[in-house]
Amino acid sequence: MRSVSPGAAIALFAIATLAHAAGTGSPAPDRMRLDTGRAIYQQRCAACHGAQGEGAPHWQQRDANGEMPPPPHDAQGHTWKHSDAMLYRLVSNGWRDPFNKTDRLTMPAFKDTLSPNEIRAVITYLKTLWTPQQRRFQREESRHQPFPPDAQ
Amino acid sequence: MNNFLARIVQHWHGNAIGTRHPAAAFARPSDCLARLPGVAALFFVLFAAGSGANAAQHVGADDKLIALEAADANTLVKATAHALYRSSNDGKNWERIALPTTMKGIAAVAESTVHPDVLYVAGSGSGVLRSEDGGRNWVARNDGLPSRKVVALAAHATQADTVYAYVSGAGIFRSQDGGGHWTAMDHGPHDHVAGFVHSNMPGSMQTGWLFAATSNGVRRSMDCFCGWQSAGALKEVVHAVAYDPQQPRRVYAATGKGLFVSTDGGEQWTHAASPAGTITALTAAPSGTLYAASGSTIFRSTDQGKTWERTGA
Repeated sequence: MRSVSPGAAIALFAIATLAHAAGTGSPAPDRMRLDTGRAIYQQRCAACHGAQGEGAPHWQQRDANGEMPPPPHDAQGHTWKHSDAMLYRLVSNGWRDPFNKTDRLTMPAFKDTLSPNEIRAVITYLKTLWTPQQRRFQREESRHQPFPPDAQ
Repeated sequence: MNNFLARIVQHWHGNAIGTRHPAAAFARPSDCLARLPGVAALFFVLFAAGSGANAAQHVGADDKLIALEAADANTLVKATAHALYRSSNDGKNWERIALPTTMKGIAAVAESTVHPDVLYVAGSGSGVLRSEDGGRNWVARNDGLPSRKVVALAAHATQADTVYAYVSGAGIFRSQDGGGHWTAMDHGPHDHVAGFVHSNMPGSMQTGWLFAATSNGVRRSMDCFCGWQSAGALKEVVHAVAYDPQQPRRVYAATGKGLFVSTDGGEQWTHAASPAGTITALTAAPSGTLYAASGSTIFRSTDQGKTWERTGA
């Protein structure tokens, strides 16, 4: 997911734009948005977070560089504890663990490479990796912290 | 507590329904229900007929303090295992805060940092009580908790209605409506938790951090509960933990080997001047003034733990 051709990007964006029922409050994520998110995840995220969202080995311990490895996005991780708004911010702006021993971002920023709807599509896909109970928790967390307007 | 009256009020449809306000004590049940969330839940409400001021008394010398709160300038709240007190003159004089007779013992106290009149008290086996008026009236707040074995409480550093409770054997629960409903967040640190504090130290994915005093050092988690980590290599039994609201990366830990301080959010710890051999409670006021309890004595430091003096002296 390092690069997407302009044509593919336009197509993905169009698909994501057409899809509108997924996410918070929706009983079943929209199929097209889901497919878009799955494709983007495999291109952009799987190299670090695992093809099945299983995370890096020993992700709960700092590595030799003093950095926290990429965590799982599946039910074993903690992604489901974040609201839609927060997940969107993390993907868009990135995030640095303040206790990392390096200065680089722990999670890279994708706002220059993914559109708002593509970011939402990826997050929508991540929700398929959680248990129903985790989805309920995350839906409640998102009730007052939804996706930003430009990703609706 | 001679002038304390605990009133279990109206019963309706099998549930105990009540009100915190004496004037409304005889309101229709439907009126009460309209004001209370979670209609199906069991609510019981208690209020103290007399003010805490009327119950003022001095603390016995052998009353070991287990909790200190200092969310307001010059106002201190302290607790032993059996009684709760407040001082409005930085520890010179104390008045006893009456608690419902259902509260068999005190395990933890938390004071809202936004509204210092909002107090939470937990009794192991008694659950959580909340007061909005400095302790005159109390309401049971246990909806969503798996048991009443609440052993630690912490108020959010900046959010008025967010509070955390540690339930023995179950983990940490969060309420975002002043204890109206609790949600399980995680199992908490692996080690025994003596207490914890919420901090607005920067860098969290969410709104802040939790620092827990455990039997194996200080443990730290962002308040998204994305995992507990050891805060540095302090492996002592920690009795209490506090942070400096003026410098949130400054964290204090009271251990069996004295007081330790970290200036980098818990990564490195160094020995600090300790006012006593064993500190049983620790808190920092919004100004950064640090308070430590040893036995029934409270000490104050206005220079970040470098020097100490007895309060009330």
